[in-house]
Amino acid sequence: MAELWNLIILNPMLNGLIALSSVLGGSFGLAIIALTVIVRLILLPLTLKQLKSTKALQGMQPKIQELQKKYGKNQQKLQQEMMKLYKEAGVNPLGCIWPMLVQFPVWIALYQSIMRALATTPESLLNLFQHLYSWGVVAQAIPLDSHFLWLNLGSPDSTLILAIIVGGSMWVQQKMVTAPSADPRQKSMNSMMLLMMPFMFGLFTLMFPSGLSLFWAVSNVIGIGIQYWITGWGYLRRGTSAQVVTKLGGKGGITKRP
Amino acid sequence: MKQVKILFLIAFSLLGLVLASCVPGGTQPAQGWSGITLNDGILYMGSMDGKIMAVNPSARSQNLSFPADGEWEYPITAPSGGGLSCSQTSASVAIYGTPAVDEALVFSGGYNGKVYALNASARSQNLDFPQMRDNEWFYPKTSEVIGAIVGSPVMSEDAIYVTSSNGKVYCLDKHFGDKKWESDILAKKLWSTPYIEGGKVYISTFDGHLYALSAEDGSITWSFAIAYPKIGFVSSPAVYEGTIFAGSFDGNLYAVEIGESEPLWNFTGGNCFWAAPVVSNSTVYAGCLNGNIYAIDATNGTELWSFDVGSPIVVSPLLVDDSLVVAAESGNVYVINPKTGIGERIRNPGNDNKPTINALVQASPCAQEGIVYIRGQDNCLYALDIEQGRVIWKFPLTTQ
Repeated sequence: MAELWNLIILNPMLNGLIALSSVLGGSFGLAIIALTVIVRLILLPLTLKQLKSTKALQGMQPKIQELQKKYGKNQQKLQQEMMKLYKEAGVNPLGCIWPMLVQFPVWIALYQSIMRALATTPESLLNLFQHLYSWGVVAQAIPLDSHFLWLNLGSPDSTLILAIIVGGSMWVQQKMVTAPSADPRQKSMNSMMLLMMPFMFGLFTLMFPSGLSLFWAVSNVIGIGIQYWITGWGYLRRGTSAQVVTKLGGKGGITKRP
Repeated sequence: MKQVKILFLIAFSLLGLVLASCVPGGTQPAQGWSGITLNDGILYMGSMDGKIMAVNPSARSQNLSFPADGEWEYPITAPSGGGLSCSQTSASVAIYGTPAVDEALVFSGGYNGKVYALNASARSQNLDFPQMRDNEWFYPKTSEVIGAIVGSPVMSEDAIYVTSSNGKVYCLDKHFGDKKWESDILAKKLWSTPYIEGGKVYISTFDGHLYALSAEDGSITWSFAIAYPKIGFVSSPAVYEGTIFAGSFDGNLYAVEIGESEPLWNFTGGNCFWAAPVVSNSTVYAGCLNGNIYAIDATNGTELWSFDVGSPIVVSPLLVDDSLVVAAESGNVYVINPKTGIGERIRNPGNDNKPTINALVQASPCAQEGIVYIRGQDNCLYALDIEQGRVIWKFPLTTQ
């Protein structure tokens, strides 16, 4: 299983990453950025599908809340009515999760490629040779230069800059899609979620090699770009929340950016 | 429903992150692969748990309790923690280089960026380190460190030479640990072991240079780089009759006459020549990561023979009397006739279907009187009798 994973997914991505580094003047940082962009572009159809499903589900929130109020004490009936609602609207409630699950192995492979390519310890460098193709462009790039801007890509960023960028960009991305709610419980939950993920990834940035954090930051920025393209700033713009909710209730989706 | 989904996604993301970080071969922790030096009947090596150890093979063959006569161990530790952790503790240091031994002094470099000189007598008595009167020292003498040390320290009559991950070569006084000189930055990092000959220090670098430095002051007296394509050298250099031999990242073994600007020849293997080649009687013996040991004519680069050991070769072969001993990474050890290339595997005494030793071999072995000593990555020391073709004893280096 591990050999199959290496053969089909990891090795092509790893060698691609190293070859990119060679093509981009030996800059591994630029190679990480380029590969993240390429992977996100390849996964764009899945990302769009995921966003559309999320958007559709958010549009149904008022109706779901109505059902919750109406059948709150009868869970079985509530589930039945909700499924009926999803069916009528032609929405699969798991539609936003499956595309994410499909993308997950790719993200893991990208993560592994970055970590392996950096080969920060002698053991890692020796292990790297088991995965390299006999391409001249790959051999020329080894060992990779781990310095990029102020970062040593093989070590955690000792400044807080990258942690702030990763956490901040994640917060913006989440804020764009998190619908405001009138329900105090839901509101409190949303606020917690909105802070929790950026905080956790900010924390990871202080613990993991900055090459990986660079990938998170770039991925988040691209995610924000795609989100903006689909929905505009969405729920990020203050003062328009109520308006958006109203529109959501009426049209079943977030308003397209003006 | 939405909350459950979000929680599910968070849990799933975290699970994925944890799984991804646990996948073997990501960033492997530094564990070390210190080789073995034999001096005056005692074996010196670094263990996988960060100790410099002196092992008496005679005591081990009699299975005496450790430490027996001439035996000792000293743990190399460094402060750890900081960052997000609340407290600072000490952790064992990985040791990659093979120790250098001069009479009672044992020299070793740590991955923590310090060089150590240990006195066997002081260590046997378990005295505090360093005992200045016994010429014990560490460098740098302050809490500062140079870059991580991966290559082995090499001795001349009165000096120790070490390479550092900060890209410099350091020359230290053997008896007091004072710095005699440090070179310019020769590469982004230096992991190779220098080769000392004729008052020169020869170095190979990851960025594709071979250097000759003056052993007196560290000045560069000659340098060589492959013009095209731009390829780094992965192996440490070997020097033989005015020619330097080193393996490159693109799977070539280069021979360059010292003082020249063009290679004498290059030999293409199926993968990298990770370990330094061994040269004897105008023949270069070079182990390749494709699992072949090659015998190459040192004068013209012609292949004389090759022998497939079935797994990558990451340590230099060993010439023992009239035999070439080759340890494959898988744990199989072969004894080969260096003239004909015909050889056979030393069998595992417990199970013929298993490798010679049940551990990866990434540390340089040594030999004496027909016995080969190998430290496996299971942190055990093995003694192999070449004539009998079997393992005669095994000693775990993790002691209480």
